Amino acid sequence: MNPKKVYIQAAEQISIQQPLSEEWFSAPIFYHDGFVPAVNPAFREYIAANEARRMGNLIKRALVTSLKVLRKTEIDHPDAIITGTCIGSLNCTEKFLQALTENGEQTLSPTYFMQSTHNTVGSTLGIYTKTHGYNTTYSHGEISFDLTILDAWMQMQLGKISTALVGGHEEMIESYFKLLQKTGYVGLDGMAPCSEVAMSMMLNTQPHTEDLCEIAGIRICNHTSADSLNDCIDSLLHEADLCREQLCAVMTGKNGNPANDKQYQEFANSVFPQTSLLHYKHIFGENYTVSALATYAAAHCLKEGYIPPFLYDTDRKEQCASPQNILLINQTKGQEFSLILLKKI
Amino acid sequence: MEPIYITGAGIASAIGIGKEETRESLLKGKTGIRKIQYLQTQHHEIPAGEVPFSNAEMAEMLGISEEPRLTRTALLGRLALREALQEAQLTSEMLHHVHFISATTVGGMDRRELFHAQEENCDKAHAIIAAHHCANCTEMIAEQFGHFASLSTVSTACSSATNAIITGANMLRCGMADIVVVGGAECLTKFHLNGFNTLMILDQQPCKPFDKNRAGLNLGEGAAYLVMESAESVRKRNVKPLCTISGYGNRCDAFHQTASSPDGEGAYEAMKEALEMAGLTPQDIQYINAHGTGTPNNDESESHAIKRVFTEKLPPISSTKSFTGHTTSASGSIEAVICIQALEYQFLPLNLNWQTTMDEGIIPVTDTRPSTEIKHILSNAFGFGGNDSSLIISKYDV
Repeated sequence: MNPKKVYIQAAEQISIQQPLSEEWFSAPIFYHDGFVPAVNPAFREYIAANEARRMGNLIKRALVTSLKVLRKTEIDHPDAIITGTCIGSLNCTEKFLQALTENGEQTLSPTYFMQSTHNTVGSTLGIYTKTHGYNTTYSHGEISFDLTILDAWMQMQLGKISTALVGGHEEMIESYFKLLQKTGYVGLDGMAPCSEVAMSMMLNTQPHTEDLCEIAGIRICNHTSADSLNDCIDSLLHEADLCREQLCAVMTGKNGNPANDKQYQEFANSVFPQTSLLHYKHIFGENYTVSALATYAAAHCLKEGYIPPFLYDTDRKEQCASPQNILLINQTKGQEFSLILLKKI
Repeated sequence: MEPIYITGAGIASAIGIGKEETRESLLKGKTGIRKIQYLQTQHHEIPAGEVPFSNAEMAEMLGISEEPRLTRTALLGRLALREALQEAQLTSEMLHHVHFISATTVGGMDRRELFHAQEENCDKAHAIIAAHHCANCTEMIAEQFGHFASLSTVSTACSSATNAIITGANMLRCGMADIVVVGGAECLTKFHLNGFNTLMILDQQPCKPFDKNRAGLNLGEGAAYLVMESAESVRKRNVKPLCTISGYGNRCDAFHQTASSPDGEGAYEAMKEALEMAGLTPQDIQYINAHGTGTPNNDESESHAIKRVFTEKLPPISSTKSFTGHTTSASGSIEAVICIQALEYQFLPLNLNWQTTMDEGIIPVTDTRPSTEIKHILSNAFGFGGNDSSLIISKYDV
């Protein structure tokens, strides 16, 4: 089987930075709060007001980032819509649960339940754009988005699809933030804020002039030993005809939480001691699916041929004047790692 | 395409723990739909396909002690996974080459809803239980058996497990894996029992799929997993395949969040895609395990879609949800294991409680004896939002 090239044709985000824009690249906003909701764009430019009223933030944001990508790429019906979300329609789930606890089992309304399943986002994208193609949703903690790329990439290699609208979407509410804070996941002093994300991108096996970059490969790997992770990295680089020394930069999910950062630190020090180290969560915050913004941010760096200084690790001096490739590393509790390799076109 | 081999299967549902008990219930027409006994709900009027064991009893079956963090979904999942791994002769040491893809939607909601009222002032341990998400569910199912090469979780509501099977099949076909374990698990929760109840699609009697007077679905719970392997892995390990996955399709109805389109467009396309991939014609299918929830909307829409694919020459069709209840995220793999049993033991699973034909409706299976050899089975699973998927499971020696 001849490997097929996979390109990121366009990508759009709504996050704690300026929405639907690349303003973060030159003028990032820094926050010092525990929880920062996403900055909403003017939805009415994309969704009629009467429709928008019936939708929650998660759906509206996912829809708008997707619609903008579809417009940009002039692809009305992608072959696949693949969505990653860990906690899905959190607001609806919490409201239905709250009503159940407060009012008991007799006087409930179906509205929140109907929209509470994780696939509400992906299926709404299908319904709204009348796209009958492949449609699925991954809900696997911090690597929910990474699995959407894996799925699209596999089906592209198999020749089943040539275009895929993939996305990572997560919403947060104050009460759930407090719950997560108790678990030690977010909200610690000195940590990136707990945030929200909607990021949609078009993957395409055909090259286009406006493409952001190429996805040279992806691996999902349970960290059973240092060897298993090393093997994964080497096979990924080998597939892309690269050796470790040729890697320009590694982007990690360091967020100021020692339990989380330890995983990346050990990895970066042992595997890539000499490579430029980049981080993105101090810009985009922390949430289960924020890795979607790592792919997005790194893709823009490759497109621009420039890595803004605020992305570099402050402890390492290596800088990369003309990035040719970036390896993204994401992990969940030090158990499971995902590796995505992006290449400049 | 090169076939994908199934070398192990495990199941736990209201009609049995394990394949043998499941098969016996299917052959004897013994349903698992009954009064709810274990779920703490006020809805005593609603029957369900509840697995007839307490959490403590299931923990004992697994040889583990019960812990507050252990969800019922995880217990059900482990019972099914254990059987699948044993049959495929996969030991703990071998799992670091095996990828695990599991499906769930309500995940650990059963634990959370027990103490939700006290959540605001709870301690860290309880906060961790409350914040349980779908991936935790997969991790909790896997942890008893060893370290898999990777874990992932699919969540497309009622078609989740079928889509986990499809992801696993794609992993094998593009060489990302040699062996995958795929399926889903879901326990009953007050959350979705009440959710379905507010949608007014729960039958207060045992459900009657494809009957003119059908009044809705019964929920169920359970888990099922398949071990799937590439040809090379089967050869290398010298294991005997039970059957093959010869085709699959995933399409979006793109119609409505909770209703199926009248002509069943998504279902039609998913079935067509699966047949095309398998290189089969509709006449090659000897049995259809329908999604067949028993709701007026699904059975009507699915009947239309099946007729569009199969025209007037319909193979035997049944909905085994009349036995297990609708096991939501687990239903795709539970029904796949039922189909594997039907192929292996050459019988047609019944469609219980059916009496009256729907207008221009299909006549489901009422006799377990097939009139011809069963070689290929089509199994449907449709989810909220129109996430529609179909699988074709074929005899190994066809």
